[in-house]
Amino acid sequence: MGSDRGKTSGSVMVVGAGIAGMQASLDLANSDYYVHLVDKLPTVGGMMARLDKTFPTNDCAM
Amino acid sequence: MRLDYPANIKIIRVPCTGKVDLMYLLSAIQKGADGVYVVGCLEGSCHYKEGNFKARQRVEQARALLEEVGLEGDRVRMYNLSSGEGPTFAAYAKEMTEHIKALGPNPLK
Amino acid sequence: MISPKLVEVGRHLNVNIITNSEIKSVEGEPGNFTVTLVNHPRYIDPVKCTGCGECAMHCPVTAVNSYNKGLDDRRATFIEYPQAVPLAFGIDTDTCIGCGLCENMCVAKAIRYDDTERESALTVGSIILAAGSQGYDPSKLDFLGYGKFANVVTSEEFERILSASGPYRGHLCRPLDREEPKKIAWLQCIGSRETNKCGNGYCSSVCCMYAVKEAMIAKEHAHGDLDCAIFNMDIRTFGKDYEKYYLRAKDKDGVRFIKSRVHTVVEIPETGDLTVRFVNEAGEILEETFSMVVLSVGLQVPETSKILAQQLGIELDKYSFVETDPFTPVSTSRKGVYTCGVFQGPKDIPGSITEASAAACAAGSDLAVARGTDTKVIEMPDQQDVTAETPRIGVFVCNCGINIGGVVNVPAVTEYAATLPFVAYTDQNLFTCSQDTQDKIKEKIIEHKLNRVVVASCSPKTHEQMFMETLEACGLNRYLFEMANIRNQNSWIHSKTPDIATQKAKDLVRMAVARSAMLKQLNEKVISVNKQALVIGGGVAGMNAALGLGKQGFQVALLEKDASLGGYSRMLHHTIEGGDIQKYLKDLIADVIAHDKIEVITGARVVDFSGYKGNFTTSVLVGPENKKRTIKHGIIIVATGAGEYTPKEYGFNQDPRVVTQVQLGDILEEKGAADLSSVVMIQCVGSRNEENENCSRICCQNAVKNALIIKKQNPEANVFVLYRDIRTYGLMEDFYKEARNLGVIFIRFEPENPPKVEPAAEGMMVTIKDHILQKNLEIRADLVTLSAGMVAEDTTELCGIMKFNRNPEGYFIEAHVKLRPVDMPGDGIFLCGTAHGPKLITEAIAQAQAAASRATTFLSKSEIKLSAITAQVDTEHCVKCLTCVRSCPFNVPVFNTEKQVIEIDEAICHGCGICAGVCPRQTIQLNYYEDDQILCKIDALLAGGM
Repeated sequence: MGSDRGKTSGSVMVVGAGIAGMQASLDLANSDYYVHLVDKLPTVGGMMARLDKTFPTNDCAM
Repeated sequence: MRLDYPANIKIIRVPCTGKVDLMYLLSAIQKGADGVYVVGCLEGSCHYKEGNFKARQRVEQARALLEEVGLEGDRVRMYNLSSGEGPTFAAYAKEMTEHIKALGPNPLK
Repeated sequence: MISPKLVEVGRHLNVNIITNSEIKSVEGEPGNFTVTLVNHPRYIDPVKCTGCGECAMHCPVTAVNSYNKGLDDRRATFIEYPQAVPLAFGIDTDTCIGCGLCENMCVAKAIRYDDTERESALTVGSIILAAGSQGYDPSKLDFLGYGKFANVVTSEEFERILSASGPYRGHLCRPLDREEPKKIAWLQCIGSRETNKCGNGYCSSVCCMYAVKEAMIAKEHAHGDLDCAIFNMDIRTFGKDYEKYYLRAKDKDGVRFIKSRVHTVVEIPETGDLTVRFVNEAGEILEETFSMVVLSVGLQVPETSKILAQQLGIELDKYSFVETDPFTPVSTSRKGVYTCGVFQGPKDIPGSITEASAAACAAGSDLAVARGTDTKVIEMPDQQDVTAETPRIGVFVCNCGINIGGVVNVPAVTEYAATLPFVAYTDQNLFTCSQDTQDKIKEKIIEHKLNRVVVASCSPKTHEQMFMETLEACGLNRYLFEMANIRNQNSWIHSKTPDIATQKAKDLVRMAVARSAMLKQLNEKVISVNKQALVIGGGVAGMNAALGLGKQGFQVALLEKDASLGGYSRMLHHTIEGGDIQKYLKDLIADVIAHDKIEVITGARVVDFSGYKGNFTTSVLVGPENKKRTIKHGIIIVATGAGEYTPKEYGFNQDPRVVTQVQLGDILEEKGAADLSSVVMIQCVGSRNEENENCSRICCQNAVKNALIIKKQNPEANVFVLYRDIRTYGLMEDFYKEARNLGVIFIRFEPENPPKVEPAAEGMMVTIKDHILQKNLEIRADLVTLSAGMVAEDTTELCGIMKFNRNPEGYFIEAHVKLRPVDMPGDGIFLCGTAHGPKLITEAIAQAQAAASRATTFLSKSEIKLSAITAQVDTEHCVKCLTCVRSCPFNVPVFNTEKQVIEIDEAICHGCGICAGVCPRQTIQLNYYEDDQILCKIDALLAGGM
């Protein structure tokens, strides 16, 4: 570990908990960083959780 | 969603309908269940690619075997729906119950 | 599809979800930012709330349900949808009347009327902005009648109408009279590609595809013949395999596509039907009546995100998307702050996910020295071995407040459980999931020497992992646990018949107890991870992937088959935005060569490959001497690239005046456009035809880019672009508009009537039928430029060795087109750049960084725990019929010819159980779902009579 580790944080803030924010959070958390995932809504999921099916597979979005 | 469906339905969980062995379906009928049905993902949407197709084959086999021994093959069925389709699940549960009622009790009971 | 991700972020030990919160300020510097958050009150404590929903059941206030886009109601106490994470309710104080009913009903004492706005602080090293988008609000466009006519809905509303969890429970009906529509029109580009009324000059990139999808799904839902028409200017199905989807809708499902921008929508008051007035390509004004009109609204950046950008001091472009550079697509103007998803620019879900991983790579690279310093680890005690013990089952029956207890006679079920075989202890709890109950369960496991636990409560989907962890925390193997779902599958659905519900609860508990007695302890095998990476392909994608990994501190071997790095990008000069590709490439190659973690191996050919995630071995022959090298590595990134199609069409290679866009790029770079007086460009050469059904994604912007260079250097020159649909998606639409403004002439043709190219007295003569003028046009050209599509690099030999799957066009197949666009189906193998499908250099860079991020999730660990739920073969009784080998969808079971046995590698088994299901002799068992463990449930159920 480098000498400047002292002032480097091992945490990341992700703003927005839609599918992009969740993916970024999971990648980072699974790579040994601590993630604060912040959203203005009471629930994570964003726009994708409001879709019915998705193209081009027509799988259920939920 | 708290949707109403008949209480005579009891669910047995499997990781994928592809895990459903012919033996499970036959054993349920043999031990007195009036009907058995397998609920899998929509065809083409299996998380394990083709588990639900295998399940359908197994259901067809069970139906044929029941017919062979003089029972109604239609006591065993397969339904497909996606995890977001609670109302469809309830509708199938009702449909299956009505259907089994019409067939009458399992004669092996 | 999104549910598993919701659950994963919700349960992840190292993801702290902070809802109802906004950013107030960010101080400090990259690596060490101090963030101040404003936490808005939720009025219900999410830690105490169990999500039981009693509060909402009793809330007397009706409010507009924003989740269903206002098409139905919800209570003032609400949760957005049943799968919501966190599974906690909140109070909408705009509508709450403060009656106090919910507070009285809440057994968990989670209601906090006195909750207030607070501030909190975080220290973080990097920031990722993924603030997303909102649908354009079309109420300003009064000619569409949205908000005035009930049956004009937005596409977002139509999604909810189609959804089984939507306002009409998935029944296709229109809002006015809840009648099923007979004809639906989709109007494209509402709030996109238009600067006069809405100001959004860009293309939203997703609307064509979602309109096609909505039309297809609507047709599936309809009971009769539903007529679907999509009014569009261009159909932009430019993504991987999207063109095939469009063709399916058009040719198989009969969705109509009408080339027109709609003029007005008028309601017929008697019927509620809508008359759509439009101008066709020939300039005629036509009318058609529909039962319903769907406005395909574009994506735009919400006001809140603009404020966010201001507070962070990051620059936005004129449409309020985050300003980024073509070569650093996820970096914002502030160091240490990254972006992804639609806030970066309009894009679809796979694009957003790819960029999210790219942003994670960039954010993580800055903090590599501090990796693991803030993460939490749970230390678990050593596990006791209970294999030899007689089962001692503890049964915990949950009241779930009054969700179960209010219907089911929980004391009676608990008493009944005590009479069942092997049950050593029973108890009932108010909320089995609460922290104090978890502690109590741990105490009871130890006190009563329980070696199996059954919880009769809710869904294993949401709670099983938590209870399994409770077992582990007191040294009991997590697989000695079983749940009976007496809430979702019982009390909630049989609430009107408590006696029947109580009986069913007993049945479910009896089944669970029977299974629990049969459960075996299972151990997750641990495999080590080799921290070296292998990247195949030394183009822009491969080099970026290697750099991404190198910056995170991992050793990389970068293979390139040619003698030098650079790949296809060596042929390109500028991005459409003006980015200098050759300069970028020179710097990139220098960075890669100078990086101490990256070893570049040029002139390399893969000759042998074996292994599985974490432990691969690849042999390569290097250089003209074919020196053999063997590399051991933990992950693979495939970046083999693609190139320009060599046209067989339009006399290419026969006449020097017929060139490709890449060749035109060279001409413009060397000689400029001064001596060009007329250039005709022909789109979709080698794309969207019988041989290659797909769109090559990049050619429209290529044509526009070169047309702009010509027009800017030589305004007198005539440039014609003969096209089928112009697909300048996203922010590139502005360049298309600029080209038209500068006088580039765009002429559309149908594939049945392609242009004709013939040598003429001076230059070439191109003949095309013009739709607007309805006659043939003859255009003389000095140069005919073919917008040749992309073709994947030939990887037949590589795939023969490494067993990767490709689609018919030769592009590699990802694990899931929507959710795993960078992963390959095999674990530990990732994909980026044009090897995945045609894409722009900017997109290739993002996907390369994404591949590095995905790979880092493997490489950052020294070992991987494999799932214990895998198939096992009883080789002694196996008759080697090979049914399992033929049936496994992942080709996991193999016949070892040396040992003459079937082998199933746990490292690659997916745990579906298909092989166990097909095995005619039951010699394959799936752990945790062995035949006995399922049959005993059937026995236990039917033993009670049915």
